Amino acid sequence: MPTFLILAVLVITIALAVLVVARPALTVARGGKILAFIALFIFPMFAGMLGLENHMERSKQTSFCLTCHVMGDYGKSLYVDDPSYIPAAHFQNGRVPRDQACYTCHTDYTIYGTFSSKLKGLHHIYAQYITKPQKPIKLYHPYNNRECLHCHEGSRSFEQGALHTADAQTMADIKSNKLSCLSSGCHDTIHNVQNLDHVKYWKPVQ
Amino acid sequence: MMENQTNPIHSKLRRAGVLIIVGLVVQTLSLLWNHPLSFIAFVSIGGLFLAMGIILYLLTLVNIPMAQTEKESAQAQKSQP
Repeated sequence: MPTFLILAVLVITIALAVLVVARPALTVARGGKILAFIALFIFPMFAGMLGLENHMERSKQTSFCLTCHVMGDYGKSLYVDDPSYIPAAHFQNGRVPRDQACYTCHTDYTIYGTFSSKLKGLHHIYAQYITKPQKPIKLYHPYNNRECLHCHEGSRSFEQGALHTADAQTMADIKSNKLSCLSSGCHDTIHNVQNLDHVKYWKPVQ
Repeated sequence: MMENQTNPIHSKLRRAGVLIIVGLVVQTLSLLWNHPLSFIAFVSIGGLFLAMGIILYLLTLVNIPMAQTEKESAQAQKSQP
């Protein structure tokens, strides 16, 4: 739901609550009791749920992730003009939605993946404002092939790629996460933020 | 007599309403701010006030004596033209 509609619901809810606060004697009548129930229970719950859902959706945005200073270089790496940079190649070619680039690759594609990502997000806030973020930033766990295979499994370039099909065991190991997609010699250039001063950048056409 | 009986309920309703309004205002402001801390403000400040207001309102509802509710209803019906 668009933010302005949620804001409208919140403003209406506030107006109804103000009415009950200003004239509590209204609740003596049956209609007033119903009004108070709507103004002090139904609408606040509804508006709160809508607001929470909006915050959840907003936290998936690339711009949201990049509001933390420590993420700045990672955002910059999405514009590196070099196809060997995996995040840059995905971002620039629309293989992931540009407005949700971070979330698309860094969520867990499991039943509670979104919830788990939000909990990690709370930990990020704690690290950003209470303690200090690690330098360099590290993933909580080694990157799981499951996140790559969520999109690439079944695609022609993956299933028929020369190196992927070099022997039967390679494909089985990739799919079972025994052989990481990001392992040395394969797709091993990720954000590479240490080298950002020595690379060219892609400028999107306006 | 009626005023004396209803006032405590009205003041509790007022308190619940004020808590809810504060919570909703915080939640509204947090939606206008695109920052990770806005989510924390939404949940921990807005959500807390909202929850306290709703709980106070529900407690007020369940604590209204039945006889008083009936009296109020009768009074309201009489006052209607």
